[in-house]
Amino acid sequence: MNNNGTTFLKMNNVNVFYDSIQALKNISLEVAKSEFVVLIGANGAGKSTLLKSILNIQAPKGSINFKGKELTKLHTDEIVANGISIIPEGHLIFNSMSVLENLQLGTYHGKKKEQSIENIFGYFPILRERKEQTAGTLSGGEQQMLSIGRGLLSDPELILVDEPSLGLAPKIVNDIFDILVKLNNVGYTILLSEQNAKKSLEIADRAYVLETGNIVMEGQADDLLNDEEIKDAYLGGSI
Amino acid sequence: MEFFIAQVLNGLSLGSIYVLLVTGFNLMLLVAKIIQFAYPQFVVISMYATWAVLRATNNVILAILVTIVVSIFLNLLSEPIFRRITSIKGTDINATFVASIGLSMVLVEIMSHSLNQGFPISFSDNWVGGSVFRYGIINISRSSIFAWVGGIIVVVAFFYLLYRTMVGRLFRAIAENRHVAKLFGIPIFKTSIMSYLIAGLLGGFIALLLSMLIGTASPWLGESVALKVLAVSIVAGLGNLKGGLFVGLALGVVESVAIGYVAGSWSNVIAFVIMLIVILAKPKGLFGAAVE
Amino acid sequence: MSSTLMYFLGFSMTYILMAWSIYLPYRVKHLHFLAVATMAVTSYMGGILSVNFGWSFLPTLLLSIVIGALISYLISHTIGNAPTFTVVIVGITFVFIIKTAIENTDYLGGTIGLFGIPVLDHPLIILFAFLLVIGYFLYRIDHSRIGRAASVIFTDENLAKSMGIKPKQIGMLFQTISGGIAGSAGVFYAFFVGSLFPDFFTFHLIGTLMTILFIGGYTTMWGVIPAALILRGVPMILPSSIASWRLLIYGVLLVAIIATKPKGLITKKMLWELLKKRSGS
Repeated sequence: MNNNGTTFLKMNNVNVFYDSIQALKNISLEVAKSEFVVLIGANGAGKSTLLKSILNIQAPKGSINFKGKELTKLHTDEIVANGISIIPEGHLIFNSMSVLENLQLGTYHGKKKEQSIENIFGYFPILRERKEQTAGTLSGGEQQMLSIGRGLLSDPELILVDEPSLGLAPKIVNDIFDILVKLNNVGYTILLSEQNAKKSLEIADRAYVLETGNIVMEGQADDLLNDEEIKDAYLGGSI
Repeated sequence: MEFFIAQVLNGLSLGSIYVLLVTGFNLMLLVAKIIQFAYPQFVVISMYATWAVLRATNNVILAILVTIVVSIFLNLLSEPIFRRITSIKGTDINATFVASIGLSMVLVEIMSHSLNQGFPISFSDNWVGGSVFRYGIINISRSSIFAWVGGIIVVVAFFYLLYRTMVGRLFRAIAENRHVAKLFGIPIFKTSIMSYLIAGLLGGFIALLLSMLIGTASPWLGESVALKVLAVSIVAGLGNLKGGLFVGLALGVVESVAIGYVAGSWSNVIAFVIMLIVILAKPKGLFGAAVE
Repeated sequence: MSSTLMYFLGFSMTYILMAWSIYLPYRVKHLHFLAVATMAVTSYMGGILSVNFGWSFLPTLLLSIVIGALISYLISHTIGNAPTFTVVIVGITFVFIIKTAIENTDYLGGTIGLFGIPVLDHPLIILFAFLLVIGYFLYRIDHSRIGRAASVIFTDENLAKSMGIKPKQIGMLFQTISGGIAGSAGVFYAFFVGSLFPDFFTFHLIGTLMTILFIGGYTTMWGVIPAALILRGVPMILPSSIASWRLLIYGVLLVAIIATKPKGLITKKMLWELLKKRSGS
């Protein structure tokens, strides 16, 4: 382990089954406090399933420990209350509700509700302008910002970010990645799942590579960025 | 013309009751994901509770309290049954409907065998109240005014809850997308228990208003009311809360006007025929279904 | 044969027929209570045709099947692929309307009832033979391409559409057949009991049929047979003080089965395993 060293999130021999198909095989993974860790891998490698298993949405077998608590025994809402939140794939929000209402829902597990919403408007000024607007009418990028903002409002220590770049324009993807770096710098621990391997390795501290439900490689992000195999498989040869 | 107005006014008070019923029904449909066909039966049993307390003590406040408590209690009591059914893998909302028919059969049998020896109950004139305003044949009774005012207050309070409070936001979030709600850490179970509680509270008010308005209840009252509630919800669009307000009121008015102009129990059929025509023409409802 | 046994068998077989008419459309998730209204219509029609016009059983039966199927066919144009609860409410509404219409029509006996329908000489034999024919017919449908398509629609309608299955066509077909079976059940009922009351065709009947279908199991046509026999039979041997609570017991059983074994006591999977064991040993 690098960084601070204390065990924060630790997955040990985690298996996940969909009916009879095994989606995750013996996953062991650690994330230290304040770390920025990325999961890379092709579509369907199990990245998303891994994040959802932490929230006990895809009933995991094995052990997932967060700050000394065993998450596999808790319901999703209890896990969120314990300080983990997810920014789901496809910038999922409640489309029929206003921007403000989405944020208010985010504060359900949070403590300083009014103040925190003000903080989010500080990060994303555009959301303040749109706060009475129905969330479904926002652009893709704005929805992603709302989704991140909402995720921050439950006072998480660990944020799981699932494929934030999916379906967004490159310029907006850069903005979103900048925000993730900023959040990491102010102390949020981030576990990111991303198909865009190059970009995510550039900003992350460490990385795990997933293939068909297995972790096939792990290491410092810089090392992986220079690894020949990774270059061939995920970085499109020579970049 | 006067006669027509009189019937419309009567219809609006009956319609308020339907509005409240369909609102409670839709709330549980949206949040707990159940078709609670026995919900109107709980209302009828609560009316029996009102009657029993009034007869034993003649204490109005106690009767009101007991009615509301009984209604909330019955709805909460059904929650574990429905939760168990919805948590079985591979079951869908149809299973909750079938179970609620079973529940309905049980309640009808209990009422028809054990309560007041199966005879219909009737409420005292004190409870029903007399006329407070008369103009020609337009006659407005105290209970009609209670139904209008009570209906409006309860509906406004309900929509305030739905749109201005955290519980309401949780309700709407779960109704819009259960999966996302779960991802975001919204406590689905706790919130759906809240929906039973609110529906129970509504049911208590409905029992009080209905007992004043029609002054009687029988073991079979719940069956025809349940049919109307489900029909109203479907005509409006299953789970469509705002549509339910409109269609509920409309049903009350149509029924009442039909009773005024058509003889005997044929009048009962007219509202059903109209609803049937609407459903056959628009199987997914007038205002769009909120639930698949 | 004792009259108790005769009543037991006759009622059970009529209920099996009715339960089948509910079973078939439920293969595509339609709880088709229009069948109950149809049964009311054809039983009264049969009664009137025989009492007032001297029709004999067989032509009455055939006409009832046609009328029953026709009613369902016409309605199925709009509810052939409607959501489950739309089909439910259309059915129950018809039941209510038909019941009220009968109650208000003196020609049909009103609330007093219609009496004097000539009872069949050998109702059980005819009923049994008819049940065999309908059973064979249902078996063939269940094991045909249409039956398999229905199973796909039940699990996932979108998947079915993507496979080129037309849910509306199958829904309409099943509803029409359901109407035909219900039409025949009405006539059998009239010619077996000899008298008709509008109160028979109400929530009680819907509740009883639901109990038979869901206790027996809706995944196979065989489930309703033991369910109808037991649910009709057991109350007949119980003391009347308990038997009068029959519907309460049905209700409790219905809730219990949905909460524990929602597919019912007899399932398709179970029959398959039984069959495999047989052929394996």
